[in-house]
Amino acid sequence: MVKYLARRLFLMGITVIGMVTVVFFLIRLIPGDPAEYMLGDYATKENLAALRAELGLNLPIYKQYLRFTQRAFTGDLGNSVVTGQPAMDEVIESLPWSAALALGGIVIAIIIGVPLGVISAVRQGSWTDLSVMLIALAGISFPVFWVGLVGILIFAHEIPLFPALGATSSGNVLRQLHHLALPALVLGSSVAAYIARLTRSAMLEVLSQEYVRVARAMGIPESRVVYRLALRNALIPVLAVIGVTFAWSLGSAILVEAVFSRPGLGSMILKAIFARDYQLVQAGVMVLSLAVVLINTSLDIVYGLVDPRVRAG
Amino acid sequence: MTQGTGRSDVYSTFKAWSLRAFGSRYLRHPGFVTGLVIMILTSFVALTAPWIAPYAPLETDMSKTLAQPSWEHLLGTDQFGRDILSRLIWGARISLEVALMVVVISLTFGTLIGAIAGYAGGWVERCMMVVNDILLAFPGFLLALALVAARGSSLESVIIAVSIAYTPRVAAVMRSVVLTIKPRPYIEASQAIGMTATRVLFVHVIPNSLPPVIVVATVSAATAILAEAGLSFLGLGVQPPTATWGNVISDGQSYIISNPWISISAGSCIAVVVIALNLLGDGLRDTLDPQMRRYAGSRML
Repeated sequence: MVKYLARRLFLMGITVIGMVTVVFFLIRLIPGDPAEYMLGDYATKENLAALRAELGLNLPIYKQYLRFTQRAFTGDLGNSVVTGQPAMDEVIESLPWSAALALGGIVIAIIIGVPLGVISAVRQGSWTDLSVMLIALAGISFPVFWVGLVGILIFAHEIPLFPALGATSSGNVLRQLHHLALPALVLGSSVAAYIARLTRSAMLEVLSQEYVRVARAMGIPESRVVYRLALRNALIPVLAVIGVTFAWSLGSAILVEAVFSRPGLGSMILKAIFARDYQLVQAGVMVLSLAVVLINTSLDIVYGLVDPRVRAG
Repeated sequence: MTQGTGRSDVYSTFKAWSLRAFGSRYLRHPGFVTGLVIMILTSFVALTAPWIAPYAPLETDMSKTLAQPSWEHLLGTDQFGRDILSRLIWGARISLEVALMVVVISLTFGTLIGAIAGYAGGWVERCMMVVNDILLAFPGFLLALALVAARGSSLESVIIAVSIAYTPRVAAVMRSVVLTIKPRPYIEASQAIGMTATRVLFVHVIPNSLPPVIVVATVSAATAILAEAGLSFLGLGVQPPTATWGNVISDGQSYIISNPWISISAGSCIAVVVIALNLLGDGLRDTLDPQMRRYAGSRML
């Protein structure tokens, strides 16, 4: 286990360094002078020179890279060009909004997706199976921002259950949750479709194994076979893929935040892109990606704890 | 697929693609047929857009802004009086172009990277896969978004960004397939008779690894269409007034209460094509490679 843990953490370290490198080169992809591009119409000789010095654009590229990496690891991702505040502060401010949305989404997705997948696998080939799978296919095929718009149309306008805005400045937790509900449901329903498909195939695989047949032959009630014996084993691969799904849902969360005008990392990155505030874009992309790596590594470690076969691989 | 007539698997791969096999295997798969028919129809609509669209996609009629669906404008008009149906017909071109280009680019590079890594092994493989894993660790849509932001919004940027975001997925699948093919006797035999590594790679390894990769490519076409629509919706994709499905949804967003048809029809177009591509992918997976059925769930997300 220690060896497995060490290997996972080492891989995570490499991935983090790689990510910092990718993010560093992203800003250098801007054609021409990034400083001029970022300042746009506000460019004067003085503030161009100041920004170039801040970004280290007058240094050779390897020195720029070293400086950027060093600063990144101390949590200094530069200042926002628009507000002048440290980019990291702005990121930390919007992080809880995104975390709440992503967490809400994934919880809803698991609550809807896993039972649907189980039902569909248990009744393989029936009309129930077919309809669940068709719904799941639709769920992964409709663009999430469109589902959000239709959600607003139905649940905020036709049947006014939820507010159309995805957030409130009120400190009341219940009101916050009320605003979060619709965005989380929209995000969760598309992720649920993936999880349902996954759970179904994992369940089918487990249900076809011999120990399940033996259990059935021994006369163990079907519900116990399905929920106690099969589901437990089927959940292992599902858990592993939830990490991947989580990364994917963070991408969708950007769109959901945009539809519901909800604050969060996604909205912040978008606003920064339109304001050409590349320091802030850089910081946002970096923190969001690091979150994915951290979550995936922790899930992998949990996966290794639960399933000894993974440790051996 | 059988192996062992002395000929390599290439033969059986081609056999699987032959017309008769196509008829008996694929056309009996209801999902595959549905997907195929929808894709053929959509491609036809996209190709004949200049002739079948009732209006030009950018033709404005300020006397008929935000018209409800009628015989004159089957899906109504937008805030500039542009015909929604015509914009959707023209939008199909952009979506299919993005899907096709992303598949071509990510399949070409992903296949090459994955095959070289898997076949070469050793430190070459390790280095290539570390880079690949780093790119895979980014949420695909976020990476595409950041790349488009850096390069500026245009059709070309969208295609390049989405390709870069999805190539690592193809490469990862390709490598794992190559690893299962590498130890087969016919590869060893080809090496023994003195074929160069490059030749073995292109003549034997790549053609035999393609079926599962084609499945992934089909699904990545679906993802590419969703990504393009998402980027357009955020205002970072193909710039308005060009008609794309994402732009039409975005135009309709402000009028979702009074004119819901604008966004609903555009979203349905996207969904229908993405469903068709997913059905094609599922069908190909079931027929091309029965082994992959078991891993149905763990395919590319």
